[in-house]
Amino acid sequence: MNKVLGICNLHDTPSLGLLTQNRPLGALSFLSRYGLMDFTLSNYSNSEIDQILILTEKNATAVLSHTQQGNVWINNTKVGFLRIAVNEKMLEAPKFNTDIANMEAHRSILEETKPDYIIVAPTFFLMSFDFRKLIEFHEEQGAQITCLYTTTTRGKKEYLNCDSLEIANNHVITNSKANTGETNKQNISLETFIFTRQAFEEVMAMSHQVSSMYGFRKMISFCINHRRMPVHAYKFEGYVVPILSGEDYVNRSFDLLSYENRQKLFLEDWPIYTTTHNTPPALYGKNAKVSNSFVANGAIIKGSVENSIISRDVVIEDGAEIKNCILLSRTFISKDTKMEYVLCDKDVKVMETKSLKGTKNKVLIIKQGDLV
Amino acid sequence: MSKKVVAMILAGGKGTRLEALTKKTAKPAVSFAAKYRIIDFPLSNCANSGINTIGVLTQYESTDLDAYVGNGEKWGLNGVHSLMTSLAPRQTEQGANWYKGTADAITQNIDFLDDNNPDYVLILSGDHIYKTLYNDMIDLHEESGADATISVIEVDPAEASRFGIMAVDKNDRIVEFQEKPKQPKSNLASMGVYVFTWKTLRKYLVADSKDPKSEHDFGNNIIPNMLNNKLKLQAYRFKGYWRDVGTLASLHQANMDIALDNRLLDLYDGSRSTRIYTEDTYSVPQYIGPQGSITRSIANQGSVILGKVDCCVISSDAVIEENALCTKCVIMAGARVKVGAKVNNAIIAPNVVVEENARINLKSDKVVLIAKGGKK
Repeated sequence: MNKVLGICNLHDTPSLGLLTQNRPLGALSFLSRYGLMDFTLSNYSNSEIDQILILTEKNATAVLSHTQQGNVWINNTKVGFLRIAVNEKMLEAPKFNTDIANMEAHRSILEETKPDYIIVAPTFFLMSFDFRKLIEFHEEQGAQITCLYTTTTRGKKEYLNCDSLEIANNHVITNSKANTGETNKQNISLETFIFTRQAFEEVMAMSHQVSSMYGFRKMISFCINHRRMPVHAYKFEGYVVPILSGEDYVNRSFDLLSYENRQKLFLEDWPIYTTTHNTPPALYGKNAKVSNSFVANGAIIKGSVENSIISRDVVIEDGAEIKNCILLSRTFISKDTKMEYVLCDKDVKVMETKSLKGTKNKVLIIKQGDLV
Repeated sequence: MSKKVVAMILAGGKGTRLEALTKKTAKPAVSFAAKYRIIDFPLSNCANSGINTIGVLTQYESTDLDAYVGNGEKWGLNGVHSLMTSLAPRQTEQGANWYKGTADAITQNIDFLDDNNPDYVLILSGDHIYKTLYNDMIDLHEESGADATISVIEVDPAEASRFGIMAVDKNDRIVEFQEKPKQPKSNLASMGVYVFTWKTLRKYLVADSKDPKSEHDFGNNIIPNMLNNKLKLQAYRFKGYWRDVGTLASLHQANMDIALDNRLLDLYDGSRSTRIYTEDTYSVPQYIGPQGSITRSIANQGSVILGKVDCCVISSDAVIEENALCTKCVIMAGARVKVGAKVNNAIIAPNVVVEENARINLKSDKVVLIAKGGKK
């Protein structure tokens, strides 16, 4: 069996404004009980990839507090590992704090594990994907680098600024450019790459001659467009949930309230693992009124909740009415508060203000720890 | 805690009165309060009390329970100074023996205790629901210089004849023990939670093992023998919620207690010092459908509520389909109540399916167990 190093890449991520101010996108809570990175980590785990490295630009504490020891995703904790790498030298120089620079700073991991293949995957395309299929294709093609992609028929509105690919019949990518929303039908890079060890080293070395500000994504586009190394393309046929903006985060969360969508993301034999928080079951009071909502353990609901996502240890007091809201962990909603289209980040307490309203197109976001 | 304490948890009983629920499962492994198993309570209490050396004595259907107990990781008991193991009956040079009684189970594991050489041994039952820190009780044992300290709870005098009753003097020193007495001399019931000074207990266990007439039981033999020999036995008054969930009705009632009044046994207290730990499932969050309704209930992750539930305890991956109605039900993991079914006052065993439009126990006050059902 081939040795594979799975990299969960928290560099080079879209900004979600307030939500990603103090945490990497990958550590952001999703659907009441997950962190976005759980999908990537679980895909590795379910694909029997037991050596996982998380590359993060900063906020290692937020990452660590989510992953804990990492045992949730690791099968054998002696043979396998989950490690977190942050490039301390580059913390003051964000433009040069790339995934490639971080990898180079931790290249001892490559010497130690001697992987045949290295996979780099981001955390903002949520999917249930078996990496073994990508490895198999990569081997069949005798490829040096293979890029996972999806197709869209809504390219004018979706996947904006993602890499749009032109692919020849022999599965080799001939062009890569940012999607500026010109056409609907496009091949979109899922920024998930598999490299042979040699190609991985070559791309890292090449980056010194090209730009110290380029990470894997830009280097691969460079390789494609300047014909420096052939890059193959493998199509993912399944369901992708892109989280590329604050709007995506909100809308995609609400989309998944539909059973039909949920079934496409969460597959029967493909569990998404997350760290346990030892929270008790959710508790519903005698006047609770809850419909079309996700509720995480530890929540106490005495008021009414509709079309909403309620995370761990949230408290909703009597008479409160919550509609189309996303409440992250430990939000407290006092008695008789009415809220619509509001996203409360962790530890928000809504005490004095009894009415908070956003709109469908502009959800009101309350900052982590705020008291309103 | 200055002195070394080893906890021994008695978890070998069959629990016949739980009927089909314990057909293939030991009683301590039975599901409780949507997310937990009964044994999580004593184990979490130990973990929270800083007791890190624990033997779990298993016998009936021990495989599942042994696997669940594992190395104690679920309760954080796998740390560098921790030792947690299950102790099922085994073959030795003297032959192979089942555990013949609660005391015999400890006697057969004297080696385990000698190896760990504790000052005190805490004997617990694997099938009681309560939250506590044992530290106060152990402190009392140490300060009073007792040979044994027995945790007691005040019960309704009218009910006292159902329990093992401790008569005490003005200093709470135990003067008499009555097992299920017709005329109880006090209303202090033994909870089956004992602290023994290990050297003393060891002598009594060895002597008891040589007594052919003994039932090798703590309540019937060891405690009365200690009292007869004028040893110092102290009562420790436990205040709070404590339930023996040995029958379907008591198991159902304790579950209802959690759902209906979380002040009785607060699983939600903000402090981390008395949390109950358990195995986690990797289910999606619980989902309440557009027509769903849930009141006065607790529900675990993975459950799907499309119908209506009131006063229920709903475990992971249980599904209540559209137009179904469940009242006062304990619905265990993976069970499914199909479209239009109505169920009242029931315990629905794991993975059981209640058929479409079924009507079960609607007008009865007596709890029923639904242990068989159709296909999913």
